[in-house]
Amino acid sequence: MNEDLILLLYIVPMLIGTLLMTSAGTSLGTALSSRYPGLIHRRRRHMLGLNIVTLVGFAISVHTLWITNKISEGGSVCSSATVFSCDDVLGNASYNVDPIFGVSWGLIGMFAFGTLLFLANTVAKEPDARWAERYMKFGFYLTAGGLLVIGLLVSYEIEMEKICQYCTTAHVANVVAMFGFWQAGKMHENGEWKDEESSA
Amino acid sequence: MKQNTEADVRTDTAVKITALFFIAIIFLAFTTDPIKTGTKEGERAPPLEGMMYNGSGWTEFKMDNYIADNWTVGDANAEWLVIEFMDTDCGFCFDDADEFGEIADYFMKISRESDGTPAWNGPTVNFIASATQLDLPNHETSRTEIISFRDKNGDEECANGRPCQSRGGDAHNFIYLDDIDQDNMKEWKVPGTPSYFIVQPDGIVAWVHSEHPQEKVSDGLFRLFDEQGLMPNE
Repeated sequence: MNEDLILLLYIVPMLIGTLLMTSAGTSLGTALSSRYPGLIHRRRRHMLGLNIVTLVGFAISVHTLWITNKISEGGSVCSSATVFSCDDVLGNASYNVDPIFGVSWGLIGMFAFGTLLFLANTVAKEPDARWAERYMKFGFYLTAGGLLVIGLLVSYEIEMEKICQYCTTAHVANVVAMFGFWQAGKMHENGEWKDEESSA
Repeated sequence: MKQNTEADVRTDTAVKITALFFIAIIFLAFTTDPIKTGTKEGERAPPLEGMMYNGSGWTEFKMDNYIADNWTVGDANAEWLVIEFMDTDCGFCFDDADEFGEIADYFMKISRESDGTPAWNGPTVNFIASATQLDLPNHETSRTEIISFRDKNGDEECANGRPCQSRGGDAHNFIYLDDIDQDNMKEWKVPGTPSYFIVQPDGIVAWVHSEHPQEKVSDGLFRLFDEQGLMPNE
């Protein structure tokens, strides 16, 4: 199966997750509320979207590590003569591991998105807990720190003159998750956190 | 009895996400068999790139173009690689150039028997010299010096001030890479020159001279071909 088509399996849920976290998600929540009554509430929609995005980030990190391993075996997964060639990026031994510990970027992504998924999931399940606001801040700081890593990886791509589509999707997931944690914190501050509050 | 009910959600979620993580790791373990990139025997050779001189001019070189990913042990049709990291100002490289050139001609099937057939009938071996400039006094090389060393011409001075064209042996028939900036040398973690590596057709390092200091490159090739049943019938 074409690897770019497989990528859509990640992009589509991420778009839905992103949609649920924006004002555009209101109509989607209303439409689905007859089947999923919880979606009428903004906070529930938002946390569902955040969970979807972090789960997609985790899954795409696993896929990235799988591609890296396959390339190391000598296989070709998504090689292309165009600028979009994840084989060239993930197969480059100089750049496919972190410069300090030599850990594959895919594995680092799994740890990062696993942690974000934990934060989003616990807050979604226990939104009124004392630690919920703190966890949202953790999530925001972690994803903001991820921007530095993204900057480094993008600089590698510029140097190689190649783009890894899978890595880019994971980077976008990090940025969307950062927005999600920041927005959740704002909702908490502005009193839009309770189910009884306005769903808009 | 006091109970912290808040901790339940976090513990429950942590267990689920840890389980998800391990499922992913198990999936990766069962579906992939990654090979580490490095320069030890059994590891995948790092990239080797740069501008190469083949006797007529400087063109781009990528080792990837020589790699056959689908190669299997015993396949005699694919081509092997011998990579030498050298410095034109290195005395050992200078003295070794004669014998290395002879070995290269033999395994590259340039040497011929009296009847015109190649002296070597086993798998073709491509030889590559990656010419660097060591960070040592009086080690200043250039592309002109690399050409002079390879082709045995010009007025350049090589190791210990000796004329490059005075090195032993004939002009070399294999390619020389410009690694004056030491990019390849650093990538391959080469501590000094000369250093020799034998790379299988699938890009796996099969032999490293530093791991077999008692063996010469030709001995290493013969042993590997013998072990893999690639020696031609006498």
